[in-house]
Amino acid sequence: MTTNAATGAVKRPEKSSSPWAIARRKFLKNKMAMISTVFLILVIILTLLAPFLAPYLSPIPDITKVNISKMSIAPNGDHLLGTDKSGRDVMTRLLYGGRISLLVGASATLIVVVLGTIVGSVAGFFGGAVDSLLMRFTDFVLNFPFLVFVIVLNTILFGIIDGLWVLILVIGLLSWGGVARIVRSKVLAEKENEYVLAAISIGTSPAKVIIKHLLPNVLSTIIVQSTLLFASLIVAETGLSYLGFGVPQETPSWGNMLAFANEPDVLQGKPWIWMPPALIITATILSINFIGEGLKDALNPKSQR
Amino acid sequence: MTTKDFTEQGKPQQERKNLLEVKNLKTYYPIHGGFFKRVVGNVKAVDDISFTIKKGETMGLVGESGCGKSTTGRTILRLIKPTGGQIIFDGEDITRIGGSKLRKARQDFQMVFQDPYASLNPMQMVGDIISEPIKNFERRDKKELEEFVKSLLVRVGLPETAYYKYAHEFSGGQRQRIGIARALALNPKLIIADEPVSALDVSVQSQVLNLLKDLQKEFDLTYLFIAHDLSVVKHMSDTIGVMYLGNLVEVASNKDLYSEPLHPYTQALISAIPEPDPKLRKERIVLQGDVPSPANPPTGCPFHTRCPMAQEICSQEKPPLKEVRPGHHVACVLY
Repeated sequence: MTTNAATGAVKRPEKSSSPWAIARRKFLKNKMAMISTVFLILVIILTLLAPFLAPYLSPIPDITKVNISKMSIAPNGDHLLGTDKSGRDVMTRLLYGGRISLLVGASATLIVVVLGTIVGSVAGFFGGAVDSLLMRFTDFVLNFPFLVFVIVLNTILFGIIDGLWVLILVIGLLSWGGVARIVRSKVLAEKENEYVLAAISIGTSPAKVIIKHLLPNVLSTIIVQSTLLFASLIVAETGLSYLGFGVPQETPSWGNMLAFANEPDVLQGKPWIWMPPALIITATILSINFIGEGLKDALNPKSQR
Repeated sequence: MTTKDFTEQGKPQQERKNLLEVKNLKTYYPIHGGFFKRVVGNVKAVDDISFTIKKGETMGLVGESGCGKSTTGRTILRLIKPTGGQIIFDGEDITRIGGSKLRKARQDFQMVFQDPYASLNPMQMVGDIISEPIKNFERRDKKELEEFVKSLLVRVGLPETAYYKYAHEFSGGQRQRIGIARALALNPKLIIADEPVSALDVSVQSQVLNLLKDLQKEFDLTYLFIAHDLSVVKHMSDTIGVMYLGNLVEVASNKDLYSEPLHPYTQALISAIPEPDPKLRKERIVLQGDVPSPANPPTGCPFHTRCPMAQEICSQEKPPLKEVRPGHHVACVLY
């Protein structure tokens, strides 16, 4: 974390624990959060290694090509998790799909956190007219009809930008309202502390007061919020893809895989097509939420563990 | 606590220049109400006060909670926007300056805050807290800056190793020393100490007060010392201003104020100082009632609602602060 990077250069004669070091110790002691972290890292590594792993697990290199001769085969030695209705290997699609789902979730979260933090901290710090203006804009964004906007933008931008980035941008640009509100309220509370007044009185510029004094003290909230957001934005991607407005159909994602399983005969008789993506989505979301809870406990100075 | 008068050691009064002049300073907080958030009234936290502080001296500001002492201090430092009046610091009017000009001017006046727990950023290393003001104004060699900050730490009575620690590892008194070091870092001319010891244990209070006095001599500092504790102010100040409900009711030298308080409010305050000698019995003036709301102050003299010597005229006319004896100003119809 930033504090450690900044102080790493100077030698410390005595072991001194920064608030971050205390939080890290607490987090490492939280079993559920640690198991979840290991699981999530494993999922990320597996999906990142998809091009190397897939050929060993299933010998079909092309994940998008339809193969009619291999439709809906149950799991066997050639296809560890079987094939879907179009004859594509489920295991391979699961690995590649994870890349897309996690990429969409992470990128959208990044956009949301950056936008939300900037808007929220500026509104909270300056207050007055700036605050009113930014918060009314936030309300506007929060109340925007999400689905309609996604559908319209998808149609307009189809072919201009890669469909995947349209989705990321749309999710990101429409979801920062909540973070902005939380950051603003946190900044408002933190601003009352005399150290902010002290920073102003020693001639620190407003930008520096926000970045060096306020943000480090609300960062714990932002971190917890962003993990929970990460989980919910993966769900958003899944849901949109299931409805057909998300990731382009030819690109595999966990949501797209589920979307193929909306027929009764697949749901009842061919669980290998929809069970793997459903299970991996559930497990990933759960583990991210556990990490979020663990961070919340670790970063809260009042919780003792 | 020693009660040695600081003026005895100082230079003669005539040589000194005015460092800070406050003229008719007003700070009002607007009260918004109604559907369109119109301004329906004002909380008159500081209502037309004037005083001057000479270079190298300490002015004490006393008064009960909520009388506007802290607001006065913060307004002078331009941390709160003044509603009216003038603040002249070292010959320059700083009442209306803003932006980078104000930020530059801040080098010369610093503040020591009341709450040592809230006034230090918990996420910053002590070394960073103290070097931040310097970094705001000049580029200095990293090593040199670190050495300088460490020397400051030692000067305020902390070990050099405190540089690498975080605020939560220190006690209240030590934290206040860190706050003092931060205020000293820019070598300011004026330090406003806003109840610097009110949050500390009595045993630690005197250490911090003596540190402040030593630093004043060493760095030729001027203090505006805000407190609600009269014995603390007596120990620290050359002149003392007594505030009541946003108004300055009496300004006098330390000696005059304690030996011969003129304003009924000051008399009541001084009668409340505990007497360490049990054989000496003092007559205690007990004030009745509460402080009126600064949003709706009484007409005339702000003190007339609780004044034991109130007359009819008191509720009609606000007495101005006038010099009734050399160096002794009081705002009361009795004089």
